[in-house]
Amino acid sequence: MKKKPSLWKNHTFRQVLFVLAFLAIWEIVALSKIYPPLLFPDLVSILKALVESTASGEMVQRTWYSLYLILMGLGIGLLISFVMVALAMVSDIFADFMEAMVAINHPLPGVALLPITLLWFGSGEWGIIFVLVHSVVWPMMLNTYAGFRSVSRTQLEVGRNIGLRGLRLVTSVMVPAAFPYIFTGLKISWARAWRSLVAAEMIFGASGKDGGLGWLIYQRRFFLDTPGVFAALGVIILIGIVVESGLFTQLEKRTVQRWGMVVTRS
Amino acid sequence: MKLYRLLASLVLAAILLTACAPAAAPAASDAAPAPAADAPKLRIAEQFGLGYAMLTVAREQKMFEKYLPGLQVEWQTYGSGGAINEAFVAGQVDAAIMGIPPFLIGWDKGIPWKVASGVCVMPLGLQTYKDDIQSLKDFKEGDKIAYPAPGSIQHILLSMAAEKELGSPTALDDFGVAMAHPDAAAALISQKDISAHFTSPPYNFQELSAPGIRQIVDGTQAFGSDFSFLVAVASKDLYEKNPQVYAAFVLGLSDAAAFINEQPEAAAKILAPSFKLDEATTLKYLTWPGMNYTTTPYGLMGFSDFMVNAGYIKNAPKSVSDIAWYNVVSTVGEMQGETPSALEKLQYRP
Repeated sequence: MKKKPSLWKNHTFRQVLFVLAFLAIWEIVALSKIYPPLLFPDLVSILKALVESTASGEMVQRTWYSLYLILMGLGIGLLISFVMVALAMVSDIFADFMEAMVAINHPLPGVALLPITLLWFGSGEWGIIFVLVHSVVWPMMLNTYAGFRSVSRTQLEVGRNIGLRGLRLVTSVMVPAAFPYIFTGLKISWARAWRSLVAAEMIFGASGKDGGLGWLIYQRRFFLDTPGVFAALGVIILIGIVVESGLFTQLEKRTVQRWGMVVTRS
Repeated sequence: MKLYRLLASLVLAAILLTACAPAAAPAASDAAPAPAADAPKLRIAEQFGLGYAMLTVAREQKMFEKYLPGLQVEWQTYGSGGAINEAFVAGQVDAAIMGIPPFLIGWDKGIPWKVASGVCVMPLGLQTYKDDIQSLKDFKEGDKIAYPAPGSIQHILLSMAAEKELGSPTALDDFGVAMAHPDAAAALISQKDISAHFTSPPYNFQELSAPGIRQIVDGTQAFGSDFSFLVAVASKDLYEKNPQVYAAFVLGLSDAAAFINEQPEAAAKILAPSFKLDEATTLKYLTWPGMNYTTTPYGLMGFSDFMVNAGYIKNAPKSVSDIAWYNVVSTVGEMQGETPSALEKLQYRP
């Protein structure tokens, strides 16, 4: 008889099991009524809040707005960092300037810039996008620049030998060679932008129309709608998982793993 | 993999949550009845603004301690009624001064508290500097109306005005932006970022004293009659388990209200430093037409009726005694027969 591979050895299975265990513990604590439901709502009421806000279209609209903001922030941030890195690759002086800028700005959390943002851009959409661009641009620059700098001479020479020049050399040799770095930069940028977005929306720039998931949480908080707050948190977690474990993992598999540039976990 | 680590931290968070929460949970309070006998304690939550003047006066003049010598008063300042709601749920305060709407939101969600006293009747309003905005109909794409928080009295009064003028209480919700009073007042006076600001004293007085700023909605007109801008609320525990502390709180507030009304100059002297204003301006604000420090509540039921109809809360109090402790219920009174008394009518919108 052939021995089946133990289900317990499966990573995904184990992870799903942990989630279920966590939810079960949550529900037991909630139903035991040790804490008032205002502090610790049970899963059914959270799910109900999620269904209600989805059905009314509010959750979808808020989520959509948050994603729109983050795409704007990421897009502008990526564009700026690529231009800056390109200039830095050409000019040594500019490279020093860029490294100084990164050193100054990288440690500044976007949320700390909020008071200044409020003065410069007001409390609307562009204020939040500014904070997002700030959280994207520095890690992205740092990583992209390091990536391009790490491209080995041999690879460049081989490229030149087979007749690649200028932009072709960049897209065919340099970008793939630097991709693990660019990829890491992208992951860090996303993580920082996503966290800044929710924080920024909750602290300022929160308004009826220009409001995403952070504003939804803020609003629910003032109506003491704890299940509603947890429902929005659930959506934030879900999007985080989809992007970080879904999108990025797939991207990683198709690029750097396929190219044999990183060690994969069995 | 990422997810794996994420889960590990989730489980850890759950363990921490279960371990830490009891400290914050008022309901798990079998062991809680504090030894109140030796050191009576009162934890009061307040906010910023002229409405909290009674607390400042009572603190400086030791008016609570007068009725209960040895009383230890602990003061906590919060940025909004919503934050006070959370502090009550977490069991961090015994009494607070706040707007009726955030109090009702908490009451609706089951916070064990009721109104212990009226605090003040004051003029609230919506101000703008924009020439093309003459009424609520004139707000258009890109305009922003600032108020302290969703569910605040300023937000609810705006909804009342929107229902009267535009037919729907939520007609202006898309224009709303949550900003603290001082920030929004500064933005309005410098005529940038926001189009209008629904606010309360002293911020509306400051705005109206600045050039080019007009009031387009009067809070009293939106409500339909005078209403209590602020009320004092007290927890069930305070009312039932510490009646002496509760009594000192209520009587101290009464003394403070009378003090401000009878001796505004002396009150202005006490209040000026805490408002960072000079005495003359403080006196001008304290005696502004429409200001009234009174422990009689106005409009308790008017707010709850509106908030139930507009869908902000689900449970409707059937009578004043559902949402007020007995000293307030007896102040309002109950006229036998067909016609309710003036004070009873005062609790409803006309």
